[in-house]
Amino acid sequence: MKPGAIIPANAASLTSLTVTMAVMCYLACLAIGALILVDRAVTSWTSGLSREMTIQVRVVRDADIDKEVEKARSITAAFPGIVEADVLDESEGAKLLEPWLGTRSLTGLPVPRLIRVVSDTDHPPDALALQKALSQVKGASLDTHQKWEVELTRMARALSAVSYAILLLICVSAVAIVIFATRAVLQANRHIVDLLHLVGARDSYIARQIDGRFVRTGLLSGFIGVGLGILTFLLLGLFGGGSESGVAAASWGLLFSAPRVALWSYGMLFAVPLAATLICLITARITLIRRLGVVT
Amino acid sequence: MLRLENVGLKYGDGPEILRDVSFAVHPGDFYFLTGPSGAGKSSLLKLLFLALRPTRGTLRIFGEDVGTLSHGNLPLIRRRIGVVFQEFRLLDHLSTYDNVALPLRVAGRSESSYRRDVMDLLDWVGLAQKSADLPPVLSGGEKQRAAIARAVIAKPQLLLADEPTGNVDPVLAKRLLHLFLELNRLGTTMLIATHDKGLVRQAERPVLHLEEGTLSLQ
Repeated sequence: MKPGAIIPANAASLTSLTVTMAVMCYLACLAIGALILVDRAVTSWTSGLSREMTIQVRVVRDADIDKEVEKARSITAAFPGIVEADVLDESEGAKLLEPWLGTRSLTGLPVPRLIRVVSDTDHPPDALALQKALSQVKGASLDTHQKWEVELTRMARALSAVSYAILLLICVSAVAIVIFATRAVLQANRHIVDLLHLVGARDSYIARQIDGRFVRTGLLSGFIGVGLGILTFLLLGLFGGGSESGVAAASWGLLFSAPRVALWSYGMLFAVPLAATLICLITARITLIRRLGVVT
Repeated sequence: MLRLENVGLKYGDGPEILRDVSFAVHPGDFYFLTGPSGAGKSSLLKLLFLALRPTRGTLRIFGEDVGTLSHGNLPLIRRRIGVVFQEFRLLDHLSTYDNVALPLRVAGRSESSYRRDVMDLLDWVGLAQKSADLPPVLSGGEKQRAAIARAVIAKPQLLLADEPTGNVDPVLAKRLLHLFLELNRLGTTMLIATHDKGLVRQAERPVLHLEEGTLSLQ
């Protein structure tokens, strides 16, 4: 004969807690998704930026710009740590200026010429030495993109910090909700708890009769939250629109990238039900033990 | 086993319900506790089954000073005390069998280890056929017997009963009295709070009388 549950499952419904925790888990998934996307985007941008440099050769009076450009290119190409040095032709330069100047002809305008430099990531060049070497070219200046890299990293750190703060707030809210629900369950079953105490039950025994329900609630709400989170990324990936580096592509990449990367994403997302279960279990257990100590 | 010295009890800032209560109960004793309604019998029993602590005086149970007993040590003392509550306090969602087995279950015993003991006891109190029934479908007398069975299943050294015959007919009351006397003969110390003068007369055991918060031996 299997003994009946000492605390009846229907004595205090945990449906509201399940719904609220599922919403919390969903928000946590979105925050984790944002964290992963920001991290990936910044890694991709900064690796591209740190690999590339640009040499700008301005038009200088009494100097043949083509000669100066070629001089800059040959100095750069021969410099240690440089893999590639390509001169962008005038039409490519004009294309870069299109957002500001439109498609009108640039003939007669002193448009600077650009040299795209690709460096060896394993043995990067000495940027200062290269800059010094380029000083013999009239109107030449080296842009290492360091400024943009620093800005991007700073922005990424800020976004990551915001995501972590959101996750922390979600955890704090979840703990508060579980405490409230635990007290409600304890209050609804007060007569049972009192009787259990009087027949010699230890607090830990009584807590075990109750916290199992919170573990199940945490697990269920965690999986609902993650399910909704994955569905959201899927819908964003399918219908988000935008360019190749836009939200849709990023969301799609979150779910369907290379196995190692995808495994990491899924690992992070599926840590949410685990965290929700632990929050429910630990918070309920601590609250129960504290409250039960006060009851008698 | 039980020793009270100048014990006082009050709820919050209210008046004292019990005043300078002093008495001792030794192993194997059988006492009745009588007194008019509101005299403090239930409060005294609550002190003895450790639901309350005295606001003054000293209460020692099994040699332990209740005033200084830590919360963690209460369960071990309570497992040596059986209690029959006036209002039964059976759990309505558990079967009669599970209700009676509760003290053994909370002590960590497995169901297979106590099944036979519980069924034997249910048979003894005439509830074997009702073992699967839930308390709401039991009569007052059946509930009373289930509550008594729960109180004695763990073979407590001390049995405290609050009006154990209050809801039963005279025939069953007499049968319950015999049950208590038998338990006492087997070594259980008894303290029974009752209004039932007939029960007290039949048992011919000493009576502690509580009136206006003061206890006297009759």
